[in-house]
Amino acid sequence: MDTAADPGDSCALLASLVERLDVGIFAVDRSGTVALWNSFMAIHSGKSSTDMLGQNLFAMFPELPRPWLEKKLESVFVLGNNAFTLWDLRPYLFRFANNRPITGGLAEMRQNVTFLPLRLSGGEVSLVCGTLFDYTDTAIAQDKLHDAIAALHREKDAQAQLIAKLETAQNQLLQSEKMASIGQLAAGVAHEINNPVGFVNSNLQTLKKYCQQMLQLITVYQGAETHIADVELRREISALTQAMDVDFVQEDLPELIKESEDGLVRIKKIVADLKDFSHVDQTDWQYADLNAGLDATLNVVWNEVKYKATVAKNYGVLPPVECLAAQLNQVFMNLIINAVQALDESKGMGTITLSTGHQDDWVWVEVQDNGLGMSEETRKRLFEPFFTTKPVGKGTGLGMSVSYNIVQKHHGRIEVDSVPGEGTRFRVWVPVKQALTVD
Amino acid sequence: MTIEFISEEQREALQEVANIGMGQAGASIAKVLGEFVELSVPQISAVGAAGIPAALAALAGDGIASAVRQAFIGELRGEAIVIFAEHSADDLAALLAYGDALDGPASRELLLDISNVLVGACLGGIAELLRTTIGFSAPSLLADQVASSQLLRADGISARCALLVEVRFGIEKRVFRCHLVMLMPDDAVAALRRALDRFVEEL
Ligand SMILES: Nc1ncnc2c1ncn2[C@@H]1O[C@H](COP(=O)(O)OP(=O)(O)OP(=O)(O)O)[C@@H](O)[C@H]1O
Ligand SMILES: [Mg+2]
Repeated sequence: MDTAADPGDSCALLASLVERLDVGIFAVDRSGTVALWNSFMAIHSGKSSTDMLGQNLFAMFPELPRPWLEKKLESVFVLGNNAFTLWDLRPYLFRFANNRPITGGLAEMRQNVTFLPLRLSGGEVSLVCGTLFDYTDTAIAQDKLHDAIAALHREKDAQAQLIAKLETAQNQLLQSEKMASIGQLAAGVAHEINNPVGFVNSNLQTLKKYCQQMLQLITVYQGAETHIADVELRREISALTQAMDVDFVQEDLPELIKESEDGLVRIKKIVADLKDFSHVDQTDWQYADLNAGLDATLNVVWNEVKYKATVAKNYGVLPPVECLAAQLNQVFMNLIINAVQALDESKGMGTITLSTGHQDDWVWVEVQDNGLGMSEETRKRLFEPFFTTKPVGKGTGLGMSVSYNIVQKHHGRIEVDSVPGEGTRFRVWVPVKQALTVD
Repeated sequence: MTIEFISEEQREALQEVANIGMGQAGASIAKVLGEFVELSVPQISAVGAAGIPAALAALAGDGIASAVRQAFIGELRGEAIVIFAEHSADDLAALLAYGDALDGPASRELLLDISNVLVGACLGGIAELLRTTIGFSAPSLLADQVASSQLLRADGISARCALLVEVRFGIEKRVFRCHLVMLMPDDAVAALRRALDRFVEEL
């Protein structure tokens, strides 16, 4: 075979190559007159090279962005460097139908076009050749990829949110389980104490009666003492009376019994408060007296309070409130304990003011302290689970987040007012009645 | 860092080539844009790979910037990066016959178009003076409206160090400002040295 190509043949070869390449190839001169239009361009545009050659490109394709494209062509003529258009910024130059009339996807063929300077007679650029590549498949694939990535991102966000929710839910569950078991324990202890207290009380009543009778009897005997003839016996009685200090015993005995009675009343009250506070028997919504709940709660935590603060009460008249009483008591307890812990011990006894009130369909319960107050930062993060400014072991940072959720469950709200160095006031608002919607 | 990989004589030659090249480039850019473009005297330096992002950030100054990259290929090989301050390129929309309403894709395309003109004119000019031909890849967006320190990430750079030629552009009475940085990786500098030696001999 003769490898020395005939120049005529190689020209024909090139011409046929340009014609057949699966790439759009066209060329224009400086006036925009078409000098080359290959079959790719003809097939997709529906305009044959006979239609196009010698015609003005912009006259044949009025939809082309003329000023912009002219500028672009001009830059290639002037600078002699390639210029480009990219499908992702400018989807297409020529509006060609895509090659997916059946399977669909994008309406127009996506195109990358490179404009090449052609120097036919040496120096000056005489033609600009456009090569047009079909990027439709890439564009469709990229769209799908974008969608998939966006979907992944959405899913990831949703998962992250879910995980965060789960974490808070779990923490709160832990905390409320803890509270529930403390409540159960308290109620159990209260119940156990109730029985012995019951029989001690009834025995004490009997004892009191017997004592009174005995004392009566002794008084009568004492009156009869002078009638005793036997001197020896009289002396013996007198010695015993003195040794036993019977006068004092007679005086002291009723008092001892009275004190024991008082003690029993107090034990009964504590037991009742414990039961009231824990409400183990009632976990359902009920109508409760929040003043009573607040008092019961204060009694339960009294030991924490009494050496550090005096408590002022300022209760309004409240209607019965539909609530989960044990849970609201938990909220009050958290607030009271926080108030005590916020007190400035260097200033001696603090003051905690408990107030309640009623406004339209709402009641409020307020716990105010004259403690250290909160910084802006603390105020913002107050309700975050595990946010605490207290030393390890003293605070877990769950009190306010659990309280928030309990109040939320009651469709209520918590207002905070705090001035650093002066004190803090929490006001819990709950509606008297829950709306019928169940969540 | 001192310029270790080219001699003082080669550096002077490069400076001269760059100066002449920019002068010619300015004229042809003006022909395309229809306005006179001010170009600074090219600054030549060498930086280690880790220093490249910081060098670009320093050029962009504080604030938001965008960057376009474009490869040049041939005997001389490297990448050109054009850095635009904030939206200052939008100022040239009319000069390149963009419509009034520049949406996101259009303003990005405008960045690519301006870069293509500037890079082609400047680097083409230098290549011509050095009697070599270079081709250009299509430009692509490196960073779109990011903090200037985020234009380029150091861990993405494969060269150990690079020779850097920097030119500033501006147009009088317009907010448009940009920097063109021509970066040649260390292993491509040998070809540049040969081309510079040739240039010096032919003087
Ligand atoms: N009355 C208050 N005065 C000042 N700061 C308060 C008051 N109540 C709460 N805080 C601040 O809010 C933080 C969070 O309170 P929260 O009750 O949620 O957690 P805690 O008391 O630290 O720990 P926990 O209640 O779990 O034992 C506290 O650490 C404290 O800094
Ligand atoms: Mg607390």
